[in-house]
Amino acid sequence: MHSVAEIVAAITSGQKTAEEITRESLSVISQKNPSINAFVEVFEQDALAQARAVDEKRARGEKLGPLAGVPVGIKDNFLYKGHKVTCCSKMLANYEAAYTSTAVERLIQADAVIVGRTNMDEFAMGSSNETSVYGPVHNPVDLTRVPGGSSGGSAAAVAAGMVPVALGTDTGGSVRQPAGFCGVVGIKPGYGRISRYGVISFASSADQVGVLATTVKDAADVLEVISGKDVHDCTSLEDPVPSYSSLFTKDLKGVKVGLPKGFLDGLDDSIKNRVKEAAALLKSKGAEVVEVSLPYAKYSAPCYYIITSAEASSNLGRYDGIRYGYADTTAADLNSYYLNSRAPFGLEVKKRIVIGTYALRSENYEACFLKAMKVRELIREDFKKVFQQVDVLLTPTSPTTAFKIGYHDENPIALYLADLYTCQGNIGGLAGISVPFGKDKQGLPVGIQFYGPILQEEKILNVAHQVEQ
Amino acid sequence: MAITKKDVMHTGKMADMAVSEQEAAIYEAQLEALFKWVNDLSGVDTEGVSLQHSNLAAHLRPDDPVVNLELAKELRARFAQEEKDCAKVKKVL
Repeated sequence: MHSVAEIVAAITSGQKTAEEITRESLSVISQKNPSINAFVEVFEQDALAQARAVDEKRARGEKLGPLAGVPVGIKDNFLYKGHKVTCCSKMLANYEAAYTSTAVERLIQADAVIVGRTNMDEFAMGSSNETSVYGPVHNPVDLTRVPGGSSGGSAAAVAAGMVPVALGTDTGGSVRQPAGFCGVVGIKPGYGRISRYGVISFASSADQVGVLATTVKDAADVLEVISGKDVHDCTSLEDPVPSYSSLFTKDLKGVKVGLPKGFLDGLDDSIKNRVKEAAALLKSKGAEVVEVSLPYAKYSAPCYYIITSAEASSNLGRYDGIRYGYADTTAADLNSYYLNSRAPFGLEVKKRIVIGTYALRSENYEACFLKAMKVRELIREDFKKVFQQVDVLLTPTSPTTAFKIGYHDENPIALYLADLYTCQGNIGGLAGISVPFGKDKQGLPVGIQFYGPILQEEKILNVAHQVEQ
Repeated sequence: MAITKKDVMHTGKMADMAVSEQEAAIYEAQLEALFKWVNDLSGVDTEGVSLQHSNLAAHLRPDDPVVNLELAKELRARFAQEEKDCAKVKKVL
């Protein structure tokens, strides 16, 4: 699959039609999806109709949108009117969206073509895409391995060349970690940059929409289209959206990069060395690389699991068979009705609801939930101080590369450590990007991550672009 | 902070969610490990820390009505019957 820029240029110049590009995408999906399982549904007829509409627009001499004819996959938690959306859960089997999410609507307004919904961990809870009711996604680099999660289907679809770009959501690393595992680019902008209207909630203080693409420029161009204030989401920010890729610089003179102290301790050499090589590359391009201290960052993961589980236990209360979700109409009484109607949740989702409810119980609230919220404040202060010293931070995306499917079955809590470096961004509300940077000993992609302050996505996009070059 | 199988089942009930004996047994060990990890937080000095950075907007949305008549009409059309601007739904029980 070509890059976003190449597709738009080919369609705008008349070298190719949007229908041809869409058919190419559909053909790759039909060929590769049976072994990868990245898409759970392909909107073949709708996609072709959208593509023809773009071609007709061009034929009429009308100006085409910035994503004209670009095939896009959307994670199965974005509402797209008239299409099924299930969060890859039995709970929402056959649920049909009554309206379209703002992010998807903005893609359509930009003349992109929505080709289908991609696989994910159930309700976006997971880091391996093994909790989907549609079965696991297989990493295109090595089919015996996971693609990461929870946006594993979106990452795998881009890595396999099914689509040049896909939407994901990122609550603790769900865009960046699968991007790292599959060898693609994944960006989660700062909190509030993209509207979440029409995105099924998991944890409202951390959920963000993100973009997966093959290049940093593609990710930047799509981010620009979908960002900005939305009256339907009061957490979306008013600030103007820059033309990100026009701000790419030739070198990194004057850019200060922070390398957090202790972040590489205990890591496998193949990841540690890639981060060190990236730091050296940044220096060679004129950046100044300095060591910085983030003493509270190590508490991000426990804070993340308490806070997001608490929010999930509240957000998922709506799946009671009355407002949303499966309804057990055979129940004998109201109590059984609720208990049975909420039974279709999978093991991981139920576990998070239990964790969240437990953390919010009056006897645990102070020691557990409130404590995590206070530590979150200290973590945010850490980042605020460090961004007064440096422009961006460089970290690994994940402590490991893609592991085998089923590897964490015996110890699922160990899987929570997969989000160690990424959940800091959600706890801190930062902008983060994962960019592929070399391979490990087994030839698997290694991702490195850049963090920047909220509303300064251009800084991380620029350094990621330099590294990619 | 220890968590037992009984706690897991009781907490499930509080969330209106049936947790089977078998599920509770699986969760017990996992949650025990998780809460041991979470206990690391208890050693952090948070004396005097207030929740000033917490994005309250994420939790408390303004109470301004957003009127979308077209959507409201479409949603109402999905129900067979309506009465006084309310959609009639099937009896749950």
